[in-house]
Amino acid sequence: MADLRREKTRMIQKDPGLFWALLAIWIALGIFILYPVVRLVGMAFMPDGHFSIVSLREAFQDTYTVKALGNSLWLALAVSVTGTILGYLFALLVTRTAMPKVCKALFSAVTLLPLISPPFTSSISLSLALGPNGYLLRLFHIPDFQIYGFLGTWLSETLTYFPVAYMVISAVLETMSANLDDAAMSLGASSGRILRTVTIPLSMPGIANSFLLLFGSSLADFATPLILGGHQFPVLPTQAYLEITGMFDLHSGASLSLMLLVPTLIVFWLQRMVVGDKNYVTVTGKSGAQSAFSPLPIVAKVIISMVCALVLAFVLYLYGIILVGSFVKTWGVTNTPTMANYQYAFKFGKKAITDTLKIAFVSTILGSILGVVIGFILQRKQFIGHRLLEIGSMLNYALPGTVVGIAYIIAFNKKPFLLTSTMAILVAAYVFRYYATSIRSVMASLEQIDKTLEEASESLGASTAGTFLHVTVPLVIPAVLTGLRYLFIHSMTAISATIFLVSVRWTLLTSRILESMTELQFTQACAFSIILIIIVFIADGLMTWALHMYSVHFLKTKEATK
Amino acid sequence: MKERAIALQLRNVVKEFTKGGKTVRAVDNINLDIEEGEMVCFLGPSGCGKTTTLRMVAGFETLTSGMITIKGKNVTNVPVNKRGIGFVFQNYALFPHMSVANNIAYGLKTRHFDPVTIAKKTQEALELVGLPNVAERYPSELSGGEQQRVALARVLVMEPSLLLMDEPLSNLDAKLRIHMRTEIRHLQKKLGITCLYVTHDQSEALTVADKIVVIRKGVVQQVGSPREIYHNPANAFVADFIGQANILPLQVVKADENTVTVEPAKGHPFTTRKGSGFSGTPDAGDPAILVIRPENIDVLAASEEGIPAKVVSAIFVGSHIEYELAIEGIDKVVNASVPSKPEETVWKEGDAVRLRFDNEAALVVAG
Repeated sequence: MADLRREKTRMIQKDPGLFWALLAIWIALGIFILYPVVRLVGMAFMPDGHFSIVSLREAFQDTYTVKALGNSLWLALAVSVTGTILGYLFALLVTRTAMPKVCKALFSAVTLLPLISPPFTSSISLSLALGPNGYLLRLFHIPDFQIYGFLGTWLSETLTYFPVAYMVISAVLETMSANLDDAAMSLGASSGRILRTVTIPLSMPGIANSFLLLFGSSLADFATPLILGGHQFPVLPTQAYLEITGMFDLHSGASLSLMLLVPTLIVFWLQRMVVGDKNYVTVTGKSGAQSAFSPLPIVAKVIISMVCALVLAFVLYLYGIILVGSFVKTWGVTNTPTMANYQYAFKFGKKAITDTLKIAFVSTILGSILGVVIGFILQRKQFIGHRLLEIGSMLNYALPGTVVGIAYIIAFNKKPFLLTSTMAILVAAYVFRYYATSIRSVMASLEQIDKTLEEASESLGASTAGTFLHVTVPLVIPAVLTGLRYLFIHSMTAISATIFLVSVRWTLLTSRILESMTELQFTQACAFSIILIIIVFIADGLMTWALHMYSVHFLKTKEATK
Repeated sequence: MKERAIALQLRNVVKEFTKGGKTVRAVDNINLDIEEGEMVCFLGPSGCGKTTTLRMVAGFETLTSGMITIKGKNVTNVPVNKRGIGFVFQNYALFPHMSVANNIAYGLKTRHFDPVTIAKKTQEALELVGLPNVAERYPSELSGGEQQRVALARVLVMEPSLLLMDEPLSNLDAKLRIHMRTEIRHLQKKLGITCLYVTHDQSEALTVADKIVVIRKGVVQQVGSPREIYHNPANAFVADFIGQANILPLQVVKADENTVTVEPAKGHPFTTRKGSGFSGTPDAGDPAILVIRPENIDVLAASEEGIPAKVVSAIFVGSHIEYELAIEGIDKVVNASVPSKPEETVWKEGDAVRLRFDNEAALVVAG
């Protein structure tokens, strides 16, 4: 204890900025991450104030629930494996082949589509394309095809989440030093061998990261299985959602949430094991000669190009359905063009649109700031409780959104933290969940930037805060913008946590879409989806433009830090 | 000569790292006094703790125990940015997103100088390092040598009370390295700045330093002027590490207060200076190490007086002839370097010769 106190005084003395930043961060994490989880666990284990495992035992005795647990895991595994592979292929194609610029732009735009639309968009179009009487089925004369169940859910989630893998992995592939390829080639390695022994091993942090992100996303996703899973394929989030919204049973909702926690935490731990403490510094203040990456082996290039083209075409087709659907009266029945869906959306969905924008804007700003600060502290500073902060700050991301949503309604519906029906609860849910990408990308970016740059700044008299602002931030801006994009997109489109938190006072576009879907107003759902996609597309375009302008302005930076 | 003030003091400085549950002592109880205006080199093999020590002086690493004072002020727990030091990094650590001028002005801005002064000082610093025309360029547009100078200018402009340099020349090519080390030394003398310089290159240390601190495995082996270190190495490690030396493990035949006699070959006693490391006068039969540099060995005809040996190889390198020689009873090859003159006899492989050791230059240290 005395040791701790001494260490604390030493820290305040040596680095006061760090101390106060840590204090503020811990208070925020305490309220918005730890407290809700504690309340959730309390709800599951102490339903009436005394310790009891009745709720949990009941959950495990229910065969339907056990089946849902198995399904959830199987689905998450399948989605994260296929999604990561697909993401890797796309990333290789974009970063390691000399594609024409137009192709690259098209690629980026199309991989972006699933990212910027609500997570259940593809499930809507999949059910329209491959559901009963689906257009594709008729085209290929497949009479008994069952899209509902594992297959559809897996397909839909893979298409929805692979762009996340693509983003994470291509960022890693881009920052890799081409000199390593040169070195390997000069040592006699073929392009295939370079891919196997240099490129892939060095992208392990990206692969592991992507796997974790996808596993978490799939575990948490309830809208896709809600639409495509049906009764044949129950998963835990759907069950928890139905318990709470259908039966108003917070206790079994909490118990089901807890069942989701264990696999989530295992994946989280595995990811840490894989990435570990490997040192991948490739950016130093010294600039070396740059050369091009080694080309992919021809066979690989052909196969990868074909796979990616096929996936792209399919994604475009699915979005085409949504677009067409938003302009017809009743899908598959009355196909006359109409603007009625949009008129409806702007008339009755205006509040949802403005609310969503406000919430997303605030969440993005707050989340980015917090993400950069935490990412910087975690990557660059040594202090007591480092590991705890790392795990604590990422907890809400690692937790399935459904769990977070349920924990939030349990925690924030009473004083001292009465936040239900406010904007704050929605913002907090987004910030403390989706700033994880900010933290991670900032950390990954810092890992690649030599620490001596910051040490140089400090030795020149700059404080921790000054160094952070003038040296670190400019160098990690690309990573910050990546985090920013992700935060904004998710704040606009995510639903798994916030579906529990919307109210009459604050509502979201995504919940409006889901409502339309459950009311079987497919064409209205399509119109809402298109509106949402356009908003996000524009905002994302602006952010990409900002990143581009930054790169142009600091073009020399780009050269030097590569 | 007037005694100079102490600029830097290290007292019982210890640094331990814990990795995988194992504690490694990287710096083991270093004590050191550095005077104002001195150029001191930390010299040692990689991983000996020299950079760690330098980084503790800078404030980048915390001490496990001990104390560091700069100009009499205890800075052990003072953050880097309040120590008033300047640090030159091995990789220069120039901010890639800032122009040269902004790199140099960086520290001045943190001290809130007015823009006019900043511009003036920046230009002066650039002129000082001989790069008056690169202010608007970016680090990536400079050569390695230029980057090095900018890194130096960035630090010097702050007029630090202590200049710390971590292998500043190791990224330059050999010719530039030699040029830059002279220039650094020149600047340091001109500005009278106290400087701590880490290197693993002994010739760099010998040419730039007022004082060399030889470190091995976190322990200081010897502190002294380049001449002291070269001519009076404290132990076999120092002798071997600085310059070239023949390290011959032998036994003491007899000894007195100032000299020791050993027997490199049977029947050929050799008396020379007693080095440090002995507690008192050693006894006959005690292990001892004869340290003799190649240039202090004469290779003579077999008919002359001296220690009998056989030529293993002879290499002509221009200014010198380098011999490898075998002495019976010593299983190490002895190196000798003889100035080459047009008339000089060059012995061939297999020739029997006699060796004469220079007893004023040779040294016996504790074994």
